[in-house]
Amino acid sequence: MFKKLKLAAIAIGCVATLGINIAKAADLKLGALYPLSGGLALLGDESFRGVQIAVDERNAAGGVNGNKVVLVKADAVDANQAVGEARRLTSIENVSAIFGSYASGVASAATQVTELAGVPYFELGAVADTITERGFKYVFRSNSTAKNFAERSLEAIFKVVAPQLKADPKSLKIAIIFEDGAYGTLVSSFQKEAAKRLGLNVVESQSYSAKSVDLSSLVLRLKASGADIVLQTSYQNDTTLFVRQSANAGYKPKAMIGAGGGYSLTDTAKALGSAMDGAYNVDFPQSTMSEKGAPGLRAFTTAYEKQFGSPPRSGHSLVNYVGAKAFLEILANAKSNDKDKIREAVLAYKKELGSNAAGWGFNFAENGQNQLATTNLMQWQKGKLETVFPEGVATAKPIGPN
Amino acid sequence: MSIFIQLLINGLLLGGAYAIISISLTLIFGVVRVVNFAHGELLMVGLYATWLITSHTGLHPYATVIPVAILLFAIGALMQRFVIQPLLTAEPHIQIFATVGVSTALLNLALMMFGADVRTVDAKVGAAAFQVGPISIVTGQLVTFVVAIIVAVGVYLLLQRTFVGRGFRALAQNRSAAALMGVNVNKTYVLVFGLGAALLGLAATLLAVQYPVFPTVGQYFVLTAFVVVVLGGLGSLPGAVVGSLFIGLIDSLAGYYVGSDLKEVVYFVIFLVILTLRPTGLFGLGRGSE
Amino acid sequence: MFPRLTHPRAYVGGIALLMLLLIPLAVNSPFIYHLAVQVCVFGALATAWNIVGGYAGQLSLGHAVFYAIGSYSATMLVIHFGMSPWLGMFGGAVIAVIAALVIAYPTLRLRGPFFALATIAFLEVCRLLVVHFQSFTGGSAGLNVPLNIGVEWMIFREKWAYLLIAFGFLAFTLWVSWIIRYSRFGFYLIAVREREDAARAVGVNAVRVKISAAVISAALTSMLGSFHAMYLTFIEPSAAFSLELSIQIAMFALIGGLGTVAGPLLGTLLVLPAAELSRGWLSALGNGTHGFVYGVVLVIVVLFFPRGLVGHLGGKALALIDRLPGARRFESAAPTIVNSTSPASSSSGVRGKPILIAEGLHKRFGGLKATDDVSLTLHEGEILGVIGPNGAGKTTVFNQLSGFIEPDAGTVKVCQPDGQWRTPTSPENFAQAGVGRTFQIVQPFSGLSVLENIMLGAFMHTRNIAAAESVAREVAELTDLTPLLNASARELTVGGMKRLEVARALATRPRVLLLDEVLAGLNPTDVARAIEMIRRIRGTGVSVLMIEHLMQATMALSDRIIVLNAGQLLREGKPADVVNDPAVIEAYLGKGYLDAQGT
Repeated sequence: MFKKLKLAAIAIGCVATLGINIAKAADLKLGALYPLSGGLALLGDESFRGVQIAVDERNAAGGVNGNKVVLVKADAVDANQAVGEARRLTSIENVSAIFGSYASGVASAATQVTELAGVPYFELGAVADTITERGFKYVFRSNSTAKNFAERSLEAIFKVVAPQLKADPKSLKIAIIFEDGAYGTLVSSFQKEAAKRLGLNVVESQSYSAKSVDLSSLVLRLKASGADIVLQTSYQNDTTLFVRQSANAGYKPKAMIGAGGGYSLTDTAKALGSAMDGAYNVDFPQSTMSEKGAPGLRAFTTAYEKQFGSPPRSGHSLVNYVGAKAFLEILANAKSNDKDKIREAVLAYKKELGSNAAGWGFNFAENGQNQLATTNLMQWQKGKLETVFPEGVATAKPIGPN
Repeated sequence: MSIFIQLLINGLLLGGAYAIISISLTLIFGVVRVVNFAHGELLMVGLYATWLITSHTGLHPYATVIPVAILLFAIGALMQRFVIQPLLTAEPHIQIFATVGVSTALLNLALMMFGADVRTVDAKVGAAAFQVGPISIVTGQLVTFVVAIIVAVGVYLLLQRTFVGRGFRALAQNRSAAALMGVNVNKTYVLVFGLGAALLGLAATLLAVQYPVFPTVGQYFVLTAFVVVVLGGLGSLPGAVVGSLFIGLIDSLAGYYVGSDLKEVVYFVIFLVILTLRPTGLFGLGRGSE
Repeated sequence: MFPRLTHPRAYVGGIALLMLLLIPLAVNSPFIYHLAVQVCVFGALATAWNIVGGYAGQLSLGHAVFYAIGSYSATMLVIHFGMSPWLGMFGGAVIAVIAALVIAYPTLRLRGPFFALATIAFLEVCRLLVVHFQSFTGGSAGLNVPLNIGVEWMIFREKWAYLLIAFGFLAFTLWVSWIIRYSRFGFYLIAVREREDAARAVGVNAVRVKISAAVISAALTSMLGSFHAMYLTFIEPSAAFSLELSIQIAMFALIGGLGTVAGPLLGTLLVLPAAELSRGWLSALGNGTHGFVYGVVLVIVVLFFPRGLVGHLGGKALALIDRLPGARRFESAAPTIVNSTSPASSSSGVRGKPILIAEGLHKRFGGLKATDDVSLTLHEGEILGVIGPNGAGKTTVFNQLSGFIEPDAGTVKVCQPDGQWRTPTSPENFAQAGVGRTFQIVQPFSGLSVLENIMLGAFMHTRNIAAAESVAREVAELTDLTPLLNASARELTVGGMKRLEVARALATRPRVLLLDEVLAGLNPTDVARAIEMIRRIRGTGVSVLMIEHLMQATMALSDRIIVLNAGQLLREGKPADVVNDPAVIEAYLGKGYLDAQGT
């Protein structure tokens, strides 16, 4: 009895979704592949929202060469699902290109599929450098990579933190801690490499599980090592845990520099209150920047608030918005769905720094990586994430420890 | 030296956090004999319930314990009655997968209802630490530890001194014999599951002051809780308590002396070694299964 | 070696399997190819898991560790040595086998949830180590498989090539699973799973059986992992060493039917495409919707099919299939050769020579001295009765005579056909030395038929199924079980089960048969039958040592009787003498009775 009902339900479901999927022939179908469930759901969803806003904006302005853009949403939590969804998007859904995907693992796996299938992949947020280092021709990335994050965080030590402390950067004790997943490992390994190159004194380098319930031993270790500056690459739970437990243990490093993730979320600051103030953060441009170096920013945040009822939860929506917007323009320029024409249009697309809402420019190298994507240095001041560097988009001056 | 003492204190207090979760798990495990993979998600439900109540009424999380415990009791009882009970005579493996299904459903339901946002419970009391000499102690952790001891004693008294508790113990030892002695098997199982879930609700209100709430939070606690329970011996109350403290201590000490990336390796390896030497856990009796 | 292709089960199964290959080829869509490849890979993974989880009954939730070893080995060999994954996968299999051995020994004594958690712990340890040694394994960032296109690299543009290879793996795994199921090894696995002690009593080396299952399963799983890595072209520790993956493949096997050949694949077919498709359709409705639906559907499926698809529908489906042409009844080819190696009958010449000698047995359990300096001798062709009040320690002595308990002091030696004495140690050793036994609480293998139960004993001397079957039939004649041969063991009456215990022990061709209260709980008719049966058994040359409470039976059957009381040997001698001995009467009935008798 139940089985018959189940079958009937499935049948109705099939028909219904087939109906949903009937798009008009002239529509431009683009896939959107993000982790929308599982552990990365929050920032995956935030990223997707940026793409949505870009697409809605484009459609309101007439679409791509007169064709309405239709987004086909796809959820992938790991490589396995990424491959499956990429196959689905490129065959059954027959999309002309795919936007993605925040998670490096998802991007790496999906792009292997799309490259072999000859479908362009527009990466808007994942940071693994290897995504654009495999010699692929149809993978393009608008955002900055883990290497940029690492270099900006060390630059912050030299240009901002050390001068504030009136100390020689090489005399400061640095600790690098990171969550043991792809994100933490990638950024921190570049940090370690660059630190060595620049002659900095790294006294501790420790990874931990992002799912940790307790980091008190790590805090004690850092305290014992006397680290002055802590570079942390983390998600929201571990950021909160670390900062709280440091405060509880009476460990107050002279500076903390995060690398996005939990350090960029307003939820984290709300949870930590004043303990978060003064913490630096290197990340994608945030929507709280100054409009001076980022034209169109206010319009974006207004559109976001209108659609989702609250301000952006992190900078990921902004970054995906800017990237998607650029790629949509490129698609319009290409005037074709042919992958090689699209590639040509991508390489030909050049914009100066400070020409869009993220403060970026666009100049794609042969490997598809945008050379003019930047990361900014921010600092939490009185519960707000202010951008303090570079000056073009700064909203406040960095405050030293007192 | 003070670092070592601090590590010990941290470890014991962390063990306290796991203790209530482990006691509830071993109670369900020991009596109903089901590996409840949804245990972490029940904790998550408790955390969300605590957050919902505190964010709407401004109450302190500790004050929400009664409604949350009652809610969790109901959910646990329903789960036992409608999901586990029909499968009591099936292969034990099948029961496990029913709980896996419940776990997935609950987790995604939370995602659907609340989104992936990380919520925190606003708690001035509980998250801060106070100093005892050179040692710092987090208030919330101490409270959790003390409550854990009270719960342990309470459950012990329940099992040993009350009629109902004796029924639990009888069922734990021999289901069919207990039934023959007049123990209403189904009703008792529902009661036990409900009670175990209610304990999780209690744990949730205590943990809410220290940990944020999001759909996958249950998975952060559940694997360790299982290790604790198996290590201590299935169905053994002292095993759950000792196991929690033991794992808490290892977590803390290994985290400092070995490194936070390998501390889990340390306690999993110790776990495997102990199981090799004592196949039914530290306090387990008998041959380690049904 | 291969299923008889003319049998309808074989050709219907074969055609159904081929559909998995032909339908995607006909539809020719990359997504359908992907689904089919996933079904093949996960179906094969579930089938390989079933060897440990189903046949051996060990719920392994850490199986992904073998999958990951295969993935990583093949990938790293490609990257660092340019080795083709076709070779690399064997390298991975070797490492997986080593890993299986490492984890198998410590977990052998674990059961149920303890075993499951130990496997999870092992999985996590391996994952953390792989993440830690990142310079070697790429760490959390994962490894990209170099996109070298070509058959030797297992990477193709054409999707059907992947499907062909995946299908090949699936067919191979199914074949291995089928061979195991219908071989002696398969019987042994089931026996060990159901009742390890009873299995050991018929000479099965339980440890070796369990480890063999683990090793085979690990090797298969690892090779599948190697292929899958080439298919996904990107691997990372959290996805490869994944607890979720382990749970998934176990679940497919369970839903389809544990311990069957086709079950795991059927379970995969039912769940996997639905899950993939629903993810595609339901994502649009909101984050988490598909996960929620999946969880709910899983619970519903488990509630409605607790015995798995094969368990519920298998009987009807098989009945339908068997009506097709080509089905011959399974037992028709009953060979008439009688297994001529029957050690029992060969040495029945000299009666009265000692065949089993126990000297100075002592056993203490904590404060209780259960066996206190017991010595006894069993002679060839003799029926020796062992009696004594409850708690005298009779079964303890029995257990020491069959290897289930190790005496604190003293020896037990068994005479072999060639005249040499042997001192066996473990239960299977005793069985192989020619000592068969029954259990006081009957231990039938309830999932098997009566015939199969008896065959388990016969397997001690032969690998051949047909030979074992013929021995079993012979023994069934001896024990009055012939009309019940095709019944399931669980349907027997108490009397039948007791005779089955005896039959199974007899099938091992023992020279000594230990009977533990074989007449308990039987009605008078059954008792009389049993007495006759024991006489017949002795007539074939088997020496019998029996514990009994039924005085009339003991008196009627025994040549000699031994009385045990409080762990000590009280009296020994001819039945009439022993039974009238005052000390014996006092032991059974107490001093009061003696006094009342006026003796």
